[in-house]
Amino acid sequence: MSETDLPRNDNANAMPAPAAPPTAVRPVAAAITLERIVTVVGFALLFAWPLLVQDVFWQRIGALVLLSAISASAWNLLGGYAGQVSVGHAVYFGAGAYASLVVYTDLGWPPIAGAPIGVLVSCLLGLVIGTPTFRLRGHYFSMATIAAAELLRILAGNWPLVGAAVGLMGPPTPRSIADLSFISPLPYHYLFLGVLIVLLLLTWQMQRSRMGYYLAAIRGGDRAARSLGVPVLRYKVYALLLSATFTSLAGSLYAVMVGFADPDSALGILISVKMVITAALGGAGTLFGPLVGAVILVPLEETTNAWFGGSGTGITFIIYGAIILLITRFQPGGIAVLWRQVIARPQRSAAAAESASHAA
Amino acid sequence: MLLEARDITMAFGAFRAVDGANLDVNEGEIIGLIGPNGAGKSTFFNCLAGDATPTAGTIRFAGRNVTRATPEEHALLGMARSFQVPVTFEDMSVADNVMVGAFLRHPHRHEARRAAADVLAFTGLATLAETRAGSLGTPGRKRLEIARALATEPRLLLLDEALAGLTPAETRLAIELVRKISARGITIVIVEHVMEVILSLTERAVVFHQGRVIATGAPRDVVEDPAVVAAYLGHHMKRVRL
Repeated sequence: MSETDLPRNDNANAMPAPAAPPTAVRPVAAAITLERIVTVVGFALLFAWPLLVQDVFWQRIGALVLLSAISASAWNLLGGYAGQVSVGHAVYFGAGAYASLVVYTDLGWPPIAGAPIGVLVSCLLGLVIGTPTFRLRGHYFSMATIAAAELLRILAGNWPLVGAAVGLMGPPTPRSIADLSFISPLPYHYLFLGVLIVLLLLTWQMQRSRMGYYLAAIRGGDRAARSLGVPVLRYKVYALLLSATFTSLAGSLYAVMVGFADPDSALGILISVKMVITAALGGAGTLFGPLVGAVILVPLEETTNAWFGGSGTGITFIIYGAIILLITRFQPGGIAVLWRQVIARPQRSAAAAESASHAA
Repeated sequence: MLLEARDITMAFGAFRAVDGANLDVNEGEIIGLIGPNGAGKSTFFNCLAGDATPTAGTIRFAGRNVTRATPEEHALLGMARSFQVPVTFEDMSVADNVMVGAFLRHPHRHEARRAAADVLAFTGLATLAETRAGSLGTPGRKRLEIARALATEPRLLLLDEALAGLTPAETRLAIELVRKISARGITIVIVEHVMEVILSLTERAVVFHQGRVIATGAPRDVVEDPAVVAAYLGHHMKRVRL
């Protein structure tokens, strides 16, 4: 029996498998080192991006990539790690965006001061929407979240406090630094990068802790998870609250940067769909998957918009449709799985060489 | 008395899958639940595990009434189970599957990892620790389910056809594992079709037929019981004699 057969050993009971050869450890270590190098280089690029490119168009894309990465990573906590595919996260994004602009319009506060209020509202909405919908499974859960989001979009379109169908505007000219209204995308880039890093560190900690294992177990199957003492509903709610908090923050940051929100741009179904696709393309349930997805999708969307002008928004939908088809048909695990296959290759060939030398 | 089920009835409309069944399990015992297909064993079993709430009757575990307790409360009180069709967490490694169980008593990652490593060694899965659970075959999955259940450090282990569908060699290894678990002082209730397993493993067998317990006693005696022979083993034995 060769070592390469080990992972497919179907007779775990009948045949005690021999220990893996110690030489297999080295390629694994090499793969981990490679992963670290790519991560460090990637983050160095993210840090240096607005200084590397002088063109404001590309600087702006850098900030938008980070914003999209924040919302997709936030979605990933519930949709990826816990496997509860919400297609209604626009609710929390919208709550954040509207909270920022409402405190400016009605109270004259700087928009960013609305962020904590947005988080609070999002968590309350999460409890209201999550409690009944978490009883549903799979597609039924996803459809219920769409329904909830559409309901809120229509409500917002008829509610004068949030500007009804016209929407709300941020400060036209900055009154002080606290308004965080800048012409250059550069300050936004570093603000967003800071929030993204905090979110990724939190996710990384969560992934290694009991909560990470419990969410993975919930994704693997409610019934088995409960039999092992996992309080399934409670952990789904924890994941939702964490997810809604950061999605709402993304909404507030969006409102601060763009200075505008209306029912379609803050609560539209495309906002929710983008989070799902971005995370799924990079790899749902992985730490860097949503960031990778954002790095690919946002420039694609922005450049097609720029090339085709106003009519380009239609192209965006076509691209999203094509990506959904490609992911589901060829690699439901997203780029993260492709990447793992690539770095596993030298390891496998090393193991094969090892067994060949044994056979000789 | 570790587990005490009194007059358990589970009705689906007019049909009573379980009809006034009683079961007493003493600490340290291995008990077999047997009976023909559709006898109500699995439904009864799900009531014991908290997966279903019986229509009538009470279940007491370790002195507490757990009739309406949730599966996670059962786990916390020290009752663990395996499933008839294994439901392992496919995308996680074998070790991580066991970690999920270990987190119940060890909230910290390092302790949970240590506890899981002990269970993996005990169940003979240590060499497969990093294998993806989804790539295991049926025997591996069944063993993994038992390992995962053991990681919750139960007092009572409920095995639902944990040995069904195994080859004779695999069955012998699985029987050995069940004996080892029992030797650790863990009480075991096992639902099984394979008579060889019941005869060699259990001290007491409980026979179900049409939702009722029709016989209880030492497996050898139960097999001879005319009611049991008529209900279940009759056809089988006739065929063997021919």
